[in-house]
Amino acid sequence: MTTFTDPIGQHASEDDPRVMLDNQIGAFEAVPPYPPRTEREAEFYSLRDGEMFINMGPQHPSTHGVLRVVLKINGEQVVDLDPVLGYLHRGVEKLCENSDYHHIISQVDPLEYVSSLFMEWAPVMAFEKLLDVEVPRRAEFIRVLTGELLRVSSHALYQGWMALDLGGLAPILYSFIERDEIVEMLAAITGQRMLFNYFRIGGVNGDLNHEFMSRLGDWMSRAAQQHEANIGLLNENEIFVRRMRGIGRVDKDTALRMVVTGPNLRASGVPYDVRRAHPYSIYPELEFDIPVRGTGPEGGDSLDRYLLRLDEVGQSLKIIDQCLHAMPDGPIMARLPRLLRPRPGRAWAAVEAPRGLYGTYAISDGTDQPFRMKIHDPSFVNLQLVGLVMKGNLMADTMAVMASLDPVMGGIDK
Amino acid sequence: MSSISRSLSHVTLAGRILIPLLFLLIVVAPILTVALAVVVGPWLVSVLSSNLGIIRFVVAITGVLLFSIPAAFIIIYMELKVIAYMNLRVGPNRVGPGGAAHSLVAGLKVLSKEDFSPANADRLVFTWAPVLVFLTAVMTFLVIPFGPGLVGQDLNIGLLYLFAVGGMAVVGLLLAGWSSFNKYSLLGGLRAAAQMVSYEIPLTLSVVGLILLAGTMSLHGIAEQQGGWFGNWFVFRQPLGALIFFIAATAEANRTPFDLTEADSEIVAGFATEYSGMRFGFLFFAEYVNVFIVSALMVTLFFGAWNSPLDINMAMLFLNDELGWNLQPIVVNLDPGGLGIGLLLLILIVPVALTVVFALPFYLTRSKLKAWQALLLGFALFNVVAVGAAFTLAFIGWDWVAGIIWFFIKSFAFVFVFVWMRGTFPRVRIDHLMGFAWKWLLPAALLNLFLTATAIVVVDALKAG
Amino acid sequence: MDRTLRARLEKRFADKVSGPVRQRHDTTELRIGAADLTEVMTALHDEPDLEFVLLADLAGVDTGDHMQVVYHLWSAKTPDWLRVIADGLPRDNPRIATLTGLWPGAEWMERETYDMFGIIFEGNRDLRRIYMPPDYTSFPLRKDFYLPDDAARSPGGGVRHMERTHVPTQATERVIRRTVKA
Repeated sequence: MTTFTDPIGQHASEDDPRVMLDNQIGAFEAVPPYPPRTEREAEFYSLRDGEMFINMGPQHPSTHGVLRVVLKINGEQVVDLDPVLGYLHRGVEKLCENSDYHHIISQVDPLEYVSSLFMEWAPVMAFEKLLDVEVPRRAEFIRVLTGELLRVSSHALYQGWMALDLGGLAPILYSFIERDEIVEMLAAITGQRMLFNYFRIGGVNGDLNHEFMSRLGDWMSRAAQQHEANIGLLNENEIFVRRMRGIGRVDKDTALRMVVTGPNLRASGVPYDVRRAHPYSIYPELEFDIPVRGTGPEGGDSLDRYLLRLDEVGQSLKIIDQCLHAMPDGPIMARLPRLLRPRPGRAWAAVEAPRGLYGTYAISDGTDQPFRMKIHDPSFVNLQLVGLVMKGNLMADTMAVMASLDPVMGGIDK
Repeated sequence: MSSISRSLSHVTLAGRILIPLLFLLIVVAPILTVALAVVVGPWLVSVLSSNLGIIRFVVAITGVLLFSIPAAFIIIYMELKVIAYMNLRVGPNRVGPGGAAHSLVAGLKVLSKEDFSPANADRLVFTWAPVLVFLTAVMTFLVIPFGPGLVGQDLNIGLLYLFAVGGMAVVGLLLAGWSSFNKYSLLGGLRAAAQMVSYEIPLTLSVVGLILLAGTMSLHGIAEQQGGWFGNWFVFRQPLGALIFFIAATAEANRTPFDLTEADSEIVAGFATEYSGMRFGFLFFAEYVNVFIVSALMVTLFFGAWNSPLDINMAMLFLNDELGWNLQPIVVNLDPGGLGIGLLLLILIVPVALTVVFALPFYLTRSKLKAWQALLLGFALFNVVAVGAAFTLAFIGWDWVAGIIWFFIKSFAFVFVFVWMRGTFPRVRIDHLMGFAWKWLLPAALLNLFLTATAIVVVDALKAG
Repeated sequence: MDRTLRARLEKRFADKVSGPVRQRHDTTELRIGAADLTEVMTALHDEPDLEFVLLADLAGVDTGDHMQVVYHLWSAKTPDWLRVIADGLPRDNPRIATLTGLWPGAEWMERETYDMFGIIFEGNRDLRRIYMPPDYTSFPLRKDFYLPDDAARSPGGGVRHMERTHVPTQATERVIRRTVKA
């Protein structure tokens, strides 16, 4: 058991060798210009013979957003690494505390900009619980339908990123075919291509229209074929498989202890999916499987995480199909006053976003703004795995393993 | 005149002194040239004629330098465009027809950029490393035969020279990486060193079998042995060697999937991270010149060099012998001097006549077309036809023209393969790369050598006994 | 709402709960004193009839009066989410035990909570700021940290090269605008 030492009064003098001044050559090092504040920091920022620091990011060509990773390397081998966050931090929780309930939906939208509908979903669900609102069935169907479409697009993009971080140029452009079609489709009903701002407390903003349905029909007719093609794009590439197999292994127990969620957890052999583990919306009525991989002793590696997402796309297509067939008629919004003042209380809602459990914890104090709003982002927790699994691997794999965890910095930095 | 004098009044003092000197130079220069020719000429001619080898070398290396830039331009454009189409994009399409002048403009852009070197960089090494890289790439052009007799220097140790000079590139990359004062550059440089030194060995070993077969290390000699039909190409006698050579050469040229030295997703741009402007341009050009060299080598060593896949005259002789046919070889006697004064008439009359002939149908069928527009069209058409005809004649009549054309067709086919690979493959990892070189390529190359040597001994024994 | 879970929790943690076990929608709420946290969480995680294996969320709350740390847990044994509220942390020196022994993955969430509220998780080996710059000295999600021109008014507004101190008392001297009865 280590204890946290308060750093008050523990300042290094100027002749302390650990203090780096700007005019020293050492100022070009990744070492922070202040004495270490925790044991971990002290341990990390001390070099042994043959080791050096290398700063990956915040402007590195292949970090997913502005992430900075300080790598401690020995030759090509990564000894340790320290992700440094906060370059994209905009204090969204504080913003939410100072916005009214409707406004929050647009505040949380850009968190995980790749799958922004899910970013609206959990807060909306939490507020509905605070207000005791029943959402119309058609609205729930529309939410699931659009959400699963976005999941397909997000996973397609993931496939492209994964290849790009391994040096393959083409797949990202192929995955953009699918993403482009889906965002166009959603733009037909939401009016925007990226930050849809579509879900509302008690329903959704607009009904499905003709353009959406015709685009969706077109897309669905070839989606399965496209999915097959995407599977064939890389899955049998020897270089690709050799670089993914056995790299970044996370076993079942570690994954649970590291509170990893989403595809990363399922790729380690834990069949945990919020849609089944704690059903919400209309998911209990739908038929779909929770794909699990990496159950064997050698599982849980980057390749499993990659393949699992491809499996999930298949399941999402199934859900979309069912939604389209079972879509009921009816209103898309519950009757609600313009100004929402929920009774004081607490609510927690979680959805299965493409990257894992995305939750919102909201406390109401009776005013039109939440007293406290906590946003739990899956990428934030999942990214911790990098530090765990990268030790001893090669530097070339840092980005590959990070890409296989599929972090989005907008969500991580909040 | 007034405008000139007015503009002269704005010229600085130095300009006012220099501009009269310029006029003076125009007058004086021809006189000086003539004087020099008269006074020093005979001596110069005697010196030059006794040093023809050196002159040939200087001319060759100048030609090679001049050639390398357009070659790189073409390959850069090709890479942009081909990968774009593979990626379902359009690629460059702004400058020139279909964006053809894109790489030219990119080159100009590179030239006009700030020449920047980072703080704490080793200036001298930082400046000269790209030059070294570029020069080694260009120097290898010297021994490559572009056509029969068209070789800068036909060294009898041509292959050895190639590997020696090609191996020097790694020094340049290492220096570039080290002098940049950047850890990414350092890693890139060290990766380049490790990779190129490792792959140099299977690369060299893979052609030893070929040298045994050919009995010479002169590239021109090797090329000549592959004449006739395509069955004579060395790829059919050295398939394993060709495969090893291709893989190792890809690694030597730092191309995908072996482009670890500039892996953008890992080490930003490797040794080129800190480079900008023309220094980066040199590194960039060197890369593409290397692609061409590797393709040219592949063609020269294994795919029949400048020989056509099937020599028509030889095929006819063969058919005559075997089937008793009586086919006459096509001989085009290209001797324009033989026409005498007719040549002059030909040059004067044929363009005009053909222009009119080609213009007539347009003028007669398109009522909206004016006469001069029709003539312009006719002239354009005439040019196309004339160039085509000239090339066809030259192709048939002159061996070296046909040789160059075949050589470039084959080389660019291989360039296309390299580009294709870049558009398709992910990148290998450094340990896989090294493992592949030492565990697979090297034993395979040794096996190839062993098999070739055995085969030669056996065949010789059979022939003798 | 899982009534049996409520009964089980009330029975098992009868001496630990600092308030009634409440249930609303699909969440069961367990309120405990901060001192009992490690014990309760270990029991929730390990005991076979509870088995809350997944820590869904870790949130700090500044009620304006005191601090809380709120944990959301999931178990396959119950359809409910379990919310554990570690209550009654003093605003001027909020300290609570870390959960990194049970869930090493809680490390960053605790870092975030420390960064935003100044709650010190004793035993977390890497309790640095995670979002805010290291020389920042105040805690943005506390209720006495105002949003309008916050940077200028917060104690960390002046540019300091190093983080000299992060004394929570410095922050509590200011006015609290909103409080919640919780």
